[in-house]
Amino acid sequence: MNSFVSRFASTGHDVELRKAREAFGDEDESLEMWGSQAGFGPLSKGVPSFSVPAVPDPSAFLRLHTDDHADPSCRIKIKHGTTTLAFRFRGGVIVAVDSRATAGSYIASGTVKKVIEINPYLLGTMAGGAADCQYWETYLGIQCRLHELRNRERISVSAASKYLSNLVYSYKGMGLSMGTMICGWDKTGPAVFYVDSDGTRLKGDVFSVGSGSTFAYGVLDQGYHWDLTDEEAQELGRRSIYAAGHRDAYSGNTINLYHVKEDGWKFIGNYDVSEMHYEGPAGVGYGYEIRTAGKSSANPPPEPESQTAQT
Amino acid sequence: MPDGSYAHPQQRQFNPYTENGGTILAIAGADFTVIAGDTRQSEGYSIQTRYAPKVFRLTDRAVLAVNGFAADGNMFVKKVKQRLEWYRHAHAKDMPLRAIARLIQTMLYAQRFFPYYVYNILGGIEEDGSGAVYSFDPVGSYEREACRAAGAAQSLVQPFLDNQIYFKNQQLPPGQTRPLHLSLSDVLSIVIDSFTSATERHIEVGDGLEIYVVLAKGRGPQGLEAVRGAQELTTNAEGDRVFIVRRELKKD
Amino acid sequence: MFLTRSEYDRGVNTFSPEGRLFQVEYAIEAIKLGSTTVGVSTTEGVVLGVEKRVQSPLLESSSIEKIMEIDKHLGCAMSGLIADARTMIDHARVTSQNHAFTYDERIKVESVTQAVCDLALRFGESVHDEEAMMSRPFGVALLIAGVDEKGPQLFHTDPSGTFVRYDAKAVGSGSEAAQSELQDKWHKQMTLKEANILTLRVLKQVMEEKLDHHNVQLAQVTADKGFEILDEVRLKALIDDM
Repeated sequence: MNSFVSRFASTGHDVELRKAREAFGDEDESLEMWGSQAGFGPLSKGVPSFSVPAVPDPSAFLRLHTDDHADPSCRIKIKHGTTTLAFRFRGGVIVAVDSRATAGSYIASGTVKKVIEINPYLLGTMAGGAADCQYWETYLGIQCRLHELRNRERISVSAASKYLSNLVYSYKGMGLSMGTMICGWDKTGPAVFYVDSDGTRLKGDVFSVGSGSTFAYGVLDQGYHWDLTDEEAQELGRRSIYAAGHRDAYSGNTINLYHVKEDGWKFIGNYDVSEMHYEGPAGVGYGYEIRTAGKSSANPPPEPESQTAQT
Repeated sequence: MPDGSYAHPQQRQFNPYTENGGTILAIAGADFTVIAGDTRQSEGYSIQTRYAPKVFRLTDRAVLAVNGFAADGNMFVKKVKQRLEWYRHAHAKDMPLRAIARLIQTMLYAQRFFPYYVYNILGGIEEDGSGAVYSFDPVGSYEREACRAAGAAQSLVQPFLDNQIYFKNQQLPPGQTRPLHLSLSDVLSIVIDSFTSATERHIEVGDGLEIYVVLAKGRGPQGLEAVRGAQELTTNAEGDRVFIVRRELKKD
Repeated sequence: MFLTRSEYDRGVNTFSPEGRLFQVEYAIEAIKLGSTTVGVSTTEGVVLGVEKRVQSPLLESSSIEKIMEIDKHLGCAMSGLIADARTMIDHARVTSQNHAFTYDERIKVESVTQAVCDLALRFGESVHDEEAMMSRPFGVALLIAGVDEKGPQLFHTDPSGTFVRYDAKAVGSGSEAAQSELQDKWHKQMTLKEANILTLRVLKQVMEEKLDHHNVQLAQVTADKGFEILDEVRLKALIDDM
């Protein structure tokens, strides 16, 4: 009886609490977290509810405290900066990324995994907010698995990317930041979709995303054609990310290379950008010093020892 | 600048955050992990307290270090502990380390639009008995690493760890190879040196140092016997073990 | 007796003076009308077997689905109202995936069973502003098989939301005869193959039709390969070995 009254009352501590919960979306306190549903509580409804600050314009609040482009002195520095690329060709999809994460001008990490293994036959890339990409692409992974269980068939790359784009579109204007390529092989063959937090979703052959994408495109576009062999394609991906790592200060450290084929993706390797500069993948460096050596008095031919000393 | 007068337009903003200084770090070994943090808490140039712990034991195999805004950090640790307790009731076991790491991601990300101003480092022992460190950004992006420093003196300490732990930019004499993992006593020396040095050069670091050491199940205490004042915090002697070592840092 | 019952057997949330919930008891009765379903647990893995009642030669037997995958390490066989089971299994799948999302690990067999049983109890009036759920108890019993860190396990759930772990369990119309047969034949050192054959033998005993690869379905959950429904070739081979 009491609960019936309080349910329709507009005053009292119950109401205050309910209002506070609505405002803060504080799911932690709900009874469902206990025992019932084996401790999964609100998660059984899918995504946990998000807390939003009790201010007139929550996204302005978020921008004020987290966006380091608008205000370099803001407190909460979210990791940014990237070069990622993916392209499809006869032999599948090549996905190549760098591994640098920057917070302002500080290199927060040089070992970031920017390829997210959604499941054994779908890959997603990470550009923009690291957490946004990691979280939503992991979430996409479980949704794809549910699709598979319910329909007894793997989800298509098109459907998976559409799921993600619809999802981020529902948060449009709230400050999510992601630019991602969803890559895989389905009934239609190799497929690459570009999805970003504005809601854009594009099907295409060649994409590069991030601060170093212009440099990567430069190499990628001139080397790309449909009939590349697997080795040529992998080399093109590696060489393109190297170019971005070399010219873009916000990209670098190492290259992660993946190849998606009909039977799922395969991790090809991790390559240090500076090692690529001096030695390359096969002993011949990508660096332009090799091409200028011996061509002018400022660049005398390298002596045999000096090459090893540089490493 | 709001000055109380109404002579000119004023702008006020909701600012629920402050920065409380301090530094935390964690290093993973083959079968142990060391997680440490200083105990100074400051706001601007004034020191609020000389003993405010930033490192917390979660279970016998997991230790969490939080840095940034102390109020957010303490609340966050409280909520993590609450979730660990619920998990224990629902699944009748302690949460494994990698599960805690993922849980922390989802908890941080639940605050994506009103973030906790905290940098977390989670250290401990994985199910396979290996030492592990997970580092997080304020909204939950995370990765497993061998070592990580965060907080005020991050940019002083991390390059030192890169050099000492990852052997970055070190030229080895020919014929010599790098050890895959450092010994516990070496790691402890590196941790203590990191903090004494950070204290020398950073105003927000100092006062006290708390070092947690997590040892994998079955591993003896070698490397820890010689350490003065190591205190065991383990609740179940059968599994992984947790120790704490306290040291003084300069107080000026 | 009929009179006293009729007053209390309508409401799903009203106890009779003797302390019984008739609707729940009737739901348990409904399972005894269902086809026979058998589960056998061994140290190598768990076997699930169901009888498919092919009532007409025009019926496509492969469209009868009574064993379903919950996740890679979890399978489920059912007896009773199959439509009700779909709701429960979808809940189990979502719970299992949510667990993987939140904790980056496979859910335990017992936990997923607990989650299904939580749902089984959510009938009757809805609470607060929660979405209305089922208006009656589910009319289905599940055998949930899985492998986790505690090894292979088999759980049985019923419409009252009770779950119990079994080494071997039979439910459905032939369950009484089947259960006593299981009790005689099950032993601790059983191999997976022996369990498969035991399952088939028990089903054969209680089935009216002659057992063949069209009217039974077998599935197993093992640590290495996870959940798999045995295909026609493997099923035929086992039937021949019987």
